[in-house]
Amino acid sequence: MNGRDGVVVSPIGRVVATERRPNTPHEFHFWTALDATVGIGTIVRVVGAHPVGGQLPTVYGVVVEGYSYTDLQSPLHDVLGHDGSPARAAFAATERTEIRLYTAAVLRHVPEEPLQPVPMGEVFLADDADVACALRMDAYLRDGSNTGIPVGVYHAGGTDAPIYVDADFLLGPEAAHVTVTGVSGLATKTSAVEWLLASIFTHFPASKGTVAAVCFNVKGPDLCFLDQPATELSESDLALYAQLGVPPRPFARVQYFAPYTARGFALNTLRTHEALAHNTMPLVWGLQDVMEFADVLLTREDIDAKADALIDFIREDVVGHRFTDDRLPRTYEVQSFSDLNAWFADVLRTMEQSNVESWRTHHIATIRKIRNRLSNIAQRCAGLVTNDGISRDLPWGSFADRTVYVIDVANLEEDAQDLIFARVVSTLRKRLEQRDLGVDHVIVFVDELNKYAPGDGPDTYVRKMLLDVAERGRYLGLVLFGAQQFRSQVHRRLIGNAGTSLFGRMDGDELATPGYAVLSPAIKTKLATLEKGQLMVRHPHFTQPVFVRFPRPAVLSGREGAERFPRSAEPSLEVAVTRSLRVLDPSITLEWVKQVTGIYEPHEILRARTQTELARPNDVRAFFKSQFRAVVPGRTVTRPPVPPALRSAPVDDPYGT
Amino acid sequence: MDASLRGAQRLLGEWIPHPRAADGPGPTLETLPAALESPRLVTPRAVEGPSLRARRVPGDPRSTFGGFLDGTQASRIVTYHDGVPIVFATVAAVIRVRRDRRLATYGQLPEIERCLYVPRALVPARLWEAATTGDYRVVDTGGERGEGGVEEAADSRHPSALIERALQLVRGCRERLEHTLAERWCATERAPLYIDGGLTGSPRVATAACSVGVVKRHRTLYVAADLMPVLTGLRPGERTTAFRIAPARRTAVTSWYLRLRDARGRDPTWGLVRIEVAESAPHDVTERADDVSRWVLAETAPLALPDPRWDTMAYGIRDCEEFLRAIT
Repeated sequence: MNGRDGVVVSPIGRVVATERRPNTPHEFHFWTALDATVGIGTIVRVVGAHPVGGQLPTVYGVVVEGYSYTDLQSPLHDVLGHDGSPARAAFAATERTEIRLYTAAVLRHVPEEPLQPVPMGEVFLADDADVACALRMDAYLRDGSNTGIPVGVYHAGGTDAPIYVDADFLLGPEAAHVTVTGVSGLATKTSAVEWLLASIFTHFPASKGTVAAVCFNVKGPDLCFLDQPATELSESDLALYAQLGVPPRPFARVQYFAPYTARGFALNTLRTHEALAHNTMPLVWGLQDVMEFADVLLTREDIDAKADALIDFIREDVVGHRFTDDRLPRTYEVQSFSDLNAWFADVLRTMEQSNVESWRTHHIATIRKIRNRLSNIAQRCAGLVTNDGISRDLPWGSFADRTVYVIDVANLEEDAQDLIFARVVSTLRKRLEQRDLGVDHVIVFVDELNKYAPGDGPDTYVRKMLLDVAERGRYLGLVLFGAQQFRSQVHRRLIGNAGTSLFGRMDGDELATPGYAVLSPAIKTKLATLEKGQLMVRHPHFTQPVFVRFPRPAVLSGREGAERFPRSAEPSLEVAVTRSLRVLDPSITLEWVKQVTGIYEPHEILRARTQTELARPNDVRAFFKSQFRAVVPGRTVTRPPVPPALRSAPVDDPYGT
Repeated sequence: MDASLRGAQRLLGEWIPHPRAADGPGPTLETLPAALESPRLVTPRAVEGPSLRARRVPGDPRSTFGGFLDGTQASRIVTYHDGVPIVFATVAAVIRVRRDRRLATYGQLPEIERCLYVPRALVPARLWEAATTGDYRVVDTGGERGEGGVEEAADSRHPSALIERALQLVRGCRERLEHTLAERWCATERAPLYIDGGLTGSPRVATAACSVGVVKRHRTLYVAADLMPVLTGLRPGERTTAFRIAPARRTAVTSWYLRLRDARGRDPTWGLVRIEVAESAPHDVTERADDVSRWVLAETAPLALPDPRWDTMAYGIRDCEEFLRAIT
């Protein structure tokens, strides 16, 4: 048969069918020569011998199972034939007739109608054009309306065909969301997402709007060096980058956010090296930021109807408002946890003095409980939540196109992680609804979905929020990229709503769960033995999963980054302040900072630093100094003049002692 | 039912109004009980020593054959016309050449012929004419109309006689195809060819140095009655001394018996083959017989199971039969 470019192409197999193993419209069988370059995952093209409706039917399929056997009817015959000696078998003059029989799942029929069983015919290896047609990529790779995002290269039988997923089905609105599943430690999940983000940033069509990514770094230094180039990319990696049209460069625009440590001197992240400070920013929230998400930090036992009512009252009427009450001694403007504490204290004191048990329908016990729970938020999330109400936040409203915002929550307590997830994702959603985020699409990457959206366990705020994103986010442009080791343990609605699924090397136990029953044993075996850099891709346009190779991300890996940019030991207060201010003014020295801050309390110094970082003034030194309270100049205390002594009593005066 | 048989039936349906089609494909005529050839002993002329005796084949078996030749035939009655059987037969032959221990078809295609066997004198002239203009070669199986003929002619009108005659012609056709292939091999190849059966039918094959015939059936045993214990007592890896076979109207060859497998407790001919090679100078006979015996012994593995003749059938011959069964 002539190929598309006129070159004669030889068939690599023939379709076969028997009564016991017939072909269907969805599955067929074919045999090949023993040396044919066909394997599990290979895409093939079948050309029927007889026209249907005036057209020769063409069927595309992907190999899902393979068999090999000889004409031997019983293993015993082989034993007899070689006198029970395996070594003698090697000297047999002739090898038995052997078959390579494959089962393929149908990807596409051309023409689509009438849908008939796969005809007998010759089988060819799929070339680039065949792969595009088989996976229905031709529908979205048309000139002028190309929405293809390269996800990897299909490699089989000498064919290296780029595989594209449809942006409309990756980032919405048709479908959206991605889940990545794979065992830990093989750099599959994080690498796949880093690669896919790079590909999206390069190929996402301008006509579809702008896109940014918010990544939660939940463990180790995985995502801490996205702006640093990889140490060395292999020739094969570079070839993949060239073939897929993605520059092998780290992300050009990355911003890092991390809360402070509990002491507040340094950021609680592995990215504390001074050379990386320019785009590593603090994430600090005050009362007003947190209040809306207080539920996240309260247990189910805390939030009964009464507590909920009081929290709503505080949220609606107290925090951020001018609050007055006839029974309270003054007017309140609650902006920080300190203000809230003072307000609670006055309320409770007033009730005790009045000897009443309820205030504005709220029982004193409820008020005491909520005061206790809310007051310790700042302690439970120390470093993230501040008492003074000053907020350092993501650049809401000015998100930039093709920018990655990494929030490092790896070293935080679970409460603080939950709070960050909840607030960031909710705010993203709200902003996208209001169309004032700064970009049209946001990809949220969350690793360890097993933990944050498990299939069983309590219905947490974070899980509800993730489910909401999965079910409704695509209409807003809010897309979830989730990764997990055990897909079977992630909530079904979250998995079910993911339009695209990527699978790296899988654990055998995981593959034995019912969720993988649709995969053939051979596909499961292949999944259990996938090499690094290989993925199985499921996408709405693909009738069957397809295996691809993707290049190593062009960013510094977490492990290498941690070695090259070792984490600094937590500095002294003065050193921490110096580092922060040097980002704004490199001329600032440690001596100058010591001189300015020498007489002030730590919380005052940290407050001054925060205000300076927020204001980003031209004259950093002057602004920083101006943040401190004025101190009255010191005075030398002199001894007051001693008044003249009274006359002493006579020595013999009997009344003088 | 294979497509060619259906095609022949359709063809006959066009020639004969309301033909009585045979019921389904059924077994081939070759598998039906036939008159057995009478077993007999023939005393051959010894060419290796004064009389038949047993010899151990020296050395280890050595794989040398470059190809294997076998043919098949399948005959079926398509229909009867006024009681006259019309037979359709497919004959085929193939050489499976061995390359890198795997077998493949020698040449472009195997030899296949599909023929109708019709007794011309017993069917209407228009039927014969129509048959000869169809897609298949038509072979006259003879026979005469009984009207006023002699008794012999009357016997030949017997349907069974007509069928036997057709089968003889089919067998001849198969042998012709086998000879054609073997002669082609001998003309171009130097590697030995393992031929299933005797060589004497083709002078060119029977005198070629590369052809080795291996006979599995022993209705005729080439041994004197008093030397029968020598033959039946052969142990695995032993052969008889060589002797000369010179059938009438056929080419003489050198032959000997070789025991491939231990027949203790079995039929004496179990695991026994008779080998035919071209005649050679008397002083070369022993070396030649030992060489060829080593080659044949090397073909005892892998086993040709599940074929019931596996004790004497080389795997390469089974492969030929399986190949022909698949394509005919």
